[in-house]
Amino acid sequence: MSIKEAAPAVPTVRTSPPPPRPTKGHRAWDEVPRWQIYLPLGIYLLFTLIPFYWILLFALRPAGSTSLVPWPMTFDHFDKVWNERSFGTYFQNSVLVGLATLVMTTVVALAGGYALARFDFKVKRAFMLALLCSQFVPGALLLVPLFEIFAELQMINSLGSVVLAETVFQLPLSMILISNFIKNVPYSLEEAAWVDGCGRLRAFRVVVLPLLRPGLIAVGSFAFVHSWNHFLFALMFLNNQEKQTVPVGLNTLMSADSVDLGALAAGGIIAAVPVVIVFAFIQKWLITGFSAGAVKG
Amino acid sequence: MAVALGSVLALTATACGDDGSGGGGDKGAEGSGKGEIVFWDNNGGVRTDIWKEIIADFEKANPDIKVQYVPIAATEVQSKYDTAIQGGGLPDVGGVGAAMLAGIAAQDALEPVEDRLAKSSLNGKLNEDMVTSVKVAGGSDEHMYSIPTSANNGVLYYRTDLFKKAGLEEPTSWDAFYEAAEKLTNSGKNEFGYTIRGGAGSIAQALDAMYGQSGITEFWDGDRTTLNDPKNVEALEKYAALYKKVTPAADLNNDFTKMVAQWDSGTIGMLNHNLGSYQDHVKALGVEKFRGIPQPVGPSGKRVQVSNPVDGLGLFKSSKNKDAAWKFIEFAASHESNSKWNESAGAIPSNTEAAKDAWINEAEPTKLAAAALNDGSTSIVQLPYYLPDWNTISKADNEPNFQKVLLGKMSAKDFLDTVAEQLNEAQAEWNEQKKS
Repeated sequence: MSIKEAAPAVPTVRTSPPPPRPTKGHRAWDEVPRWQIYLPLGIYLLFTLIPFYWILLFALRPAGSTSLVPWPMTFDHFDKVWNERSFGTYFQNSVLVGLATLVMTTVVALAGGYALARFDFKVKRAFMLALLCSQFVPGALLLVPLFEIFAELQMINSLGSVVLAETVFQLPLSMILISNFIKNVPYSLEEAAWVDGCGRLRAFRVVVLPLLRPGLIAVGSFAFVHSWNHFLFALMFLNNQEKQTVPVGLNTLMSADSVDLGALAAGGIIAAVPVVIVFAFIQKWLITGFSAGAVKG
Repeated sequence: MAVALGSVLALTATACGDDGSGGGGDKGAEGSGKGEIVFWDNNGGVRTDIWKEIIADFEKANPDIKVQYVPIAATEVQSKYDTAIQGGGLPDVGGVGAAMLAGIAAQDALEPVEDRLAKSSLNGKLNEDMVTSVKVAGGSDEHMYSIPTSANNGVLYYRTDLFKKAGLEEPTSWDAFYEAAEKLTNSGKNEFGYTIRGGAGSIAQALDAMYGQSGITEFWDGDRTTLNDPKNVEALEKYAALYKKVTPAADLNNDFTKMVAQWDSGTIGMLNHNLGSYQDHVKALGVEKFRGIPQPVGPSGKRVQVSNPVDGLGLFKSSKNKDAAWKFIEFAASHESNSKWNESAGAIPSNTEAAKDAWINEAEPTKLAAAALNDGSTSIVQLPYYLPDWNTISKADNEPNFQKVLLGKMSAKDFLDTVAEQLNEAQAEWNEQKKS
């Protein structure tokens, strides 16, 4: 057998980096006047928030209004896109595609990442290189071959085709991230579990898996958000209106020569809310996950 | 884990309706004239409601046929067709604008419809100019690849309130247009006379203004384009000089969305767009604050415009139910349906009976545009939509160069010479292909 277990990683204890010490010519954090921190941050925040305010304004003010505040406020645009433009259905489909991609990407990346982290095999370096190189291939380039494959599998016009395509495109990065995360878990912990009578699978489940939570959250949320926002595969592989997703629905709010900006803004908010909620809940783990997964190679 | 994966696939791998068959070159079949047909709307979204209404009427009149409606955004429809031609999964019927007709027909994806039309109740009831236009756009001397449904037209929208306040006459001539653009501009107060299209779609609009002023009425002089004729160069120089002088600086990246939104919400005197945005202006400004009139006339007193793509419905060769698909096309282009659709879109109907309906007189820009096209006062410069490279040359390849012209980094002459050279080559290639 050409596969052998990799040499155990040196156990490391990760701690938060110590606060930087003030050096000569540099003031300590608490010596910096607050305005020097908050003014640039405030300006940056304005640049970031004004477009969001603009979207809110168009979504909440009546059609034809040029007011700079959303008053009188109306939810007509939301009602229109949700009920008349089928965004209720698109939203449901996007949630389904997002969650399915999340589950499949995470499960497969976990298995693949474990193999990459814990085993040495002959073509490991070439495999890692291939994984990285696959990131340089744009999805649009593979559209026709993918279309033909899904047509052969009778999967055109099925949400499964979008989930599979999204998962395949998410896997390389996810697998690399997870494998780096697993490398950070001391191998001796698994060995100790084996000594206590666990098999490899059980040791992985009870010892390693709980320590991978930040990494799993990072990879899962990245997969969800990416598939939530992705437009091309849903546009190409889904024909039935009842199966289309939010980005495709948003696109149809712009016709060749006319745009309902109120409806477009309301649709944009519906599309953005789940992503904002996901990031609000997971940002702590996300930052830890990406930084921990990215440092070691 | 297995349960989780199984659940995921069970949730997502729902019933597969379309097997993805039917690419370019597939011969298809007449079918029984019953069952389900798939219709791709090439301008889905805003027109979805009216199409659903027409489909409901059709299904009521033809209870044995069910139409599956697929709305596709206009910006993406070309790539969706191209992918389906290569990979399979074409619809039975699809909306095909004149600008993309040649490309799709060249890939052997569309069924010629001239024989069906000759035997149909539609025969003789379609606007002859539009029929000619789709025939030419299809790129074949023998075949007609779509049934025209509507035509759009360039419109000069102007703010009646601002013109009245400034004591200006209606901009019916190019001289009046330039005078008004200058007088209505007070950039310090964020007031501008005109908004120019500098982003996506800029070239078609610039060509309209250019030929309108030069008065040249033919796009080709033999095998060479008239695009870089000195009169056109002079006209384009004058038009491009409007940028930043009487227009907002942000116009450099204006596609139609930004341009229309800016005009509807700002203080800008004039806007060139087509009939399609009329309802947006009504919603934003109300009918009393603006008018939409045909393009200004040139120094000769004659109006010259470039052709707008005629929209139509194509029958796809790969359809396994062409009989039912043709019935749907006939129904959609019939008096009642064609009238309904065009009233909703504010466009000019292809059905001559629909063009006489009362609503035409109530939608002023449509009425004026239809009159201008039919009363002999307007010469149309037929753009070469039949060239498979037309879209590339008139958009992706040269729109950045037009921005350079606006910024003064490229001369109008160099720009037109470059585009003309590409078009002459494309035309020569096209002629070669036709010979072979």
